[in-house]
Amino acid sequence: MGLREDLERFREVGEQRREDLKEFIRYGDMGGSGPDSIRIPIKVVDLPEFAYDQLDQGGVGQGQGDTPDVGQPVGQPQPQQGDGDEGDEDGEPGEDHAEHEYYEMDPEEFAEELDEELGLDLEPKGKEVIEEIEGDFTELTRTGPNSTLDFEQLFKRGLKRKLAMDVDEEYVREAMKVEGVTAREVFEWCREQRIPVSFVWVEDEFESIPEAERGTWASFEEMDEHVDQTTVVQRIRRDGLKEIPFRREDERYRHPEIVEKKEKNVVVVNIRDVSGSMRENKRELVERTFTPLDWYLTGKYDHAEFVYIAHDAEAWRVERDDFFGIKSGGGTKISSAYELAKAVLDEEYPWSEWNRYVFAAGDSENSSNDTTENVVPLMEEIRANLHAYVETQPGGTAINATHADEVDQAFTETDNVVVTKVSGQEDVIDAIYEILSTES
Amino acid sequence: MNTDRIEKQREARALEEPVREAGALARKLGLDPYPVNYWIVDYDEMNELIAYGGFQTRYPHWRWGMTYDRQRKQDQFGMGKAFEIVNNDNPAHAFLQQSNALADQKAVITHVEAHADFFANNEWFALFGDRDPDAAAMLERHAEVVDDYMDDPEIERGEVERFIDAALTLEDTIDQHRTLDRAMEDRDEDVASDIRDRLEDLDISEDVRNQVFSEEWLTEQETDTGDATLEEPRKDVLAFLLEHGRRYDEEAGKAFEFEPWQREILDIVRTESYYFAGQKMTKVMNEGWAAYWESVMMGEEGFADENEFLTYADHQARVLGSPGLNPYKLGKELWEYVENVANRREVAERLLRVRDVTWRNFHDVVDFDDVAARLEPDPVVDRVRPDTLSELAELGEDDPRVDHEALDRAISGELDVERYPWKVLTYEGLAERHFSLIKRQYRNFLERIGRSELERLQRYMFDDERYESVAEALEDVEYTAGWDRMREVRESHNDVTFIDAFLTEEFVKDNNYFTYEYARSTQDFRVASTDPDDVKKKLLLRFTNFGKPTVAVYDGNWANRNELLLGHQFNGVMLDLQQARDVLERAFDLWGRPVNLMTIVKEFDEHEVEIARRRNREPSPTEKGVRIRYDGDEFEVHELDPELEERIAASDVDYDTKPDEWLA
Repeated sequence: MGLREDLERFREVGEQRREDLKEFIRYGDMGGSGPDSIRIPIKVVDLPEFAYDQLDQGGVGQGQGDTPDVGQPVGQPQPQQGDGDEGDEDGEPGEDHAEHEYYEMDPEEFAEELDEELGLDLEPKGKEVIEEIEGDFTELTRTGPNSTLDFEQLFKRGLKRKLAMDVDEEYVREAMKVEGVTAREVFEWCREQRIPVSFVWVEDEFESIPEAERGTWASFEEMDEHVDQTTVVQRIRRDGLKEIPFRREDERYRHPEIVEKKEKNVVVVNIRDVSGSMRENKRELVERTFTPLDWYLTGKYDHAEFVYIAHDAEAWRVERDDFFGIKSGGGTKISSAYELAKAVLDEEYPWSEWNRYVFAAGDSENSSNDTTENVVPLMEEIRANLHAYVETQPGGTAINATHADEVDQAFTETDNVVVTKVSGQEDVIDAIYEILSTES
Repeated sequence: MNTDRIEKQREARALEEPVREAGALARKLGLDPYPVNYWIVDYDEMNELIAYGGFQTRYPHWRWGMTYDRQRKQDQFGMGKAFEIVNNDNPAHAFLQQSNALADQKAVITHVEAHADFFANNEWFALFGDRDPDAAAMLERHAEVVDDYMDDPEIERGEVERFIDAALTLEDTIDQHRTLDRAMEDRDEDVASDIRDRLEDLDISEDVRNQVFSEEWLTEQETDTGDATLEEPRKDVLAFLLEHGRRYDEEAGKAFEFEPWQREILDIVRTESYYFAGQKMTKVMNEGWAAYWESVMMGEEGFADENEFLTYADHQARVLGSPGLNPYKLGKELWEYVENVANRREVAERLLRVRDVTWRNFHDVVDFDDVAARLEPDPVVDRVRPDTLSELAELGEDDPRVDHEALDRAISGELDVERYPWKVLTYEGLAERHFSLIKRQYRNFLERIGRSELERLQRYMFDDERYESVAEALEDVEYTAGWDRMREVRESHNDVTFIDAFLTEEFVKDNNYFTYEYARSTQDFRVASTDPDDVKKKLLLRFTNFGKPTVAVYDGNWANRNELLLGHQFNGVMLDLQQARDVLERAFDLWGRPVNLMTIVKEFDEHEVEIARRRNREPSPTEKGVRIRYDGDEFEVHELDPELEERIAASDVDYDTKPDEWLA
């Protein structure tokens, strides 16, 4: 029917229904996401139309039971119903357009996707043996407590043994009926036939053959021609499996493998200039750059911890929630942040045990000489997988804002320092790429 | 395959009686629906029909796939179970889902009948095709035409689709308050074609041309961006494009006349838009109407037996119970309000004629409990059973509430009065049975009548007839007042006028409506106002012009360069600028030459935002007029000439309902 084609066409048109990560990082609304869950809006494939700005439009709601108070938050508003449908449909009161569908992913998935999209390849390093954990129960020993007995093995071995030693007794009895044959001769013949019988048993059986039946066969060959052998399976089927011979030597006891687990852990130090010059638009750029970096590292490492440092002329530690919003009014001394960072790292996150990433962002403004005299040496002292400075300066560099360049120059030879500049949302992806691909 | 057909046929047969009786009851209740053809379809077919807007065939386009996809997704989460779909046509076609329980089907059928009545009687639908839309045939024809173009080897398929895409972005820029033809009539005298082109056509000698129309002069004409030439902006943008649009040829680098297929497609899109406009303009009313009559016919008529009733109650709850603003619920509540107000007025008028009752002493003198008791329906009319038929007969030949012919048949056993008690009553009888003011939830509606209304009623009472007592007055009450009024309203109103007229303070308070706005300080939406005027304003914003901003053509020869100048008639709410640009891109495909859009943007000064945030206030933006221009390649944004800004700016209504000390 025509609709099937229309549906196919729709799929083709809207191939990537999910906002791709790059778009999301550059422009997307990060409000719906948190440190552990990333919500990416699903791109609505639809034709554009003249419509009201959703935020400016507001709307009307209906209280359940009574009227809510002015100032109370309302839930995510239903997108304003336009004419979405032309027919008359029952049971569709909210007229949901898929406008606020989200694709939710955890940091691991985010890291994978970003790797793919940006062509990254960061290998998280294991730092230290933090514990011996029990691995698979693969070790086998001959002795052990009963609870660790591998019964399956025991049974299997016994069964194998039984099968190997099982004898077609009927057949052998027929052999005893051969003309003029002795017990010893029957025994010899069994051995040749690879029938595992004991001489004692043959002798006993031989006695019990009725006289009348002796001489039934002229020879072993004749007997064989006329008598069918049964297989083990047939016999088991016929007679049942009454006993499995268990032997001591079949016992096996399982122990867990001791695995030395190296934990891949990481501490990310986020440093931000919150001085007067860092206005809203710059702050937003910092957020857009740092947040995906944080997610990425959370996704790559088993265990991630974060240290947030805000600074103007002084530095202080803050919580994640406050980090992007803080604004102060003073001057700028970037080294204060690095001093604090060093102190924190030395005390709480020793290099032997932790992978470290130190990210700093600002508009490259700094007190005179602070960069070369203080920051650079501090950066050299702080051992880390990666040091990065992100200059957020819309409109290019300002006159006294040279921090980024100075750092860049000081560390041209160094592998683990990267400086990058973001002047607008479009640059964010490149910055992230640069940072993440510098890590050796 | 075959068994499926048999199933459907069996179902269809089982529904024959409910269909027939629902139609009969609807007519008894005063409705006048188009005849309806019912079809049973399965789940997939239902979704397909919905995707196609209620029809079986539409022109090929991915938008139907999109609707289908969404519909299915909604259903997955149990949110959008579609019970039926009916289209606006004569006869109408309704599709019922095979898997619905019988109770659901019965409910749905009554719902459909009410819709069919609405389609048949609301005058906004009559704008198109004057009560004989012949819609299915028209849409099929359109589908064939487009199909042919798609298959035409001379025309690139992708191009056709892209052209349809472009036309669809402007689908709603029509003049929905006029008929298809009349909207086309506006001759645009002021649209001059490109001056240079005209000069070409004039065929004058070069000498004359150079002397009279010097290059200098020509350039001057072209850069004179003065006033927009159209006195009266044209709301039907599609028509304008149809008449004056061109296609842009990349290779040649200029604009040419449309190909015939382009013209035809533009016409098709426009025509269909006009067809569906009626539905789009009356959604709240229509859904409310259907919900209202469905509940009258179902719950109150004992149509369903007990088990069926429970299933039905659940059905209603699902449709009406969604959170947020529910147009069905809003519609139904408004209709009930219309009914109550009309009934209340009728009773009040009677009471005001009682000797010694005046608007001043009304609330003191009238014993409302007594009135309520007296308004109860006559038990003979209220409870119709086989053993009460004789009492009905005793009411006499003249009693307007009894359908005597049916009563005779009932008495002789030809008519099952246990299943269809309503059959022996007339419209008047049924109205009495269902009189709204005595329903429990409306018990004190009468009492709440305002003094000013009473005063007004009395002022225009010229009838000298006086009743001696309340009892006497109430005997004359016409129980049909509510329903009569409802039918009038459903003829003449659309959603905007409906809401404007009937959403009163009483209504807003009773139903707990409020407005919400976006708060920049908290970056979320918050309750802004519970004032009924604000609520009404916000609702009107949502329903006026299909809930979309009004954009009209202001000039077809802007800057004397044949640029299109569109204007957003600003009412205080900004455009979604990103989308607007996307639309302009497509508009270029339909105009062939640069296109412009005038609008007003609200800008926030960063500094102010900070201050406001610190003081826990909302920052106030500055409004600025802009003209966004697209030339096929890139966008430009210019400041808008103040005269033009005045033309598009709103002066009266302010749709912002944020209070001053909002979140302090």
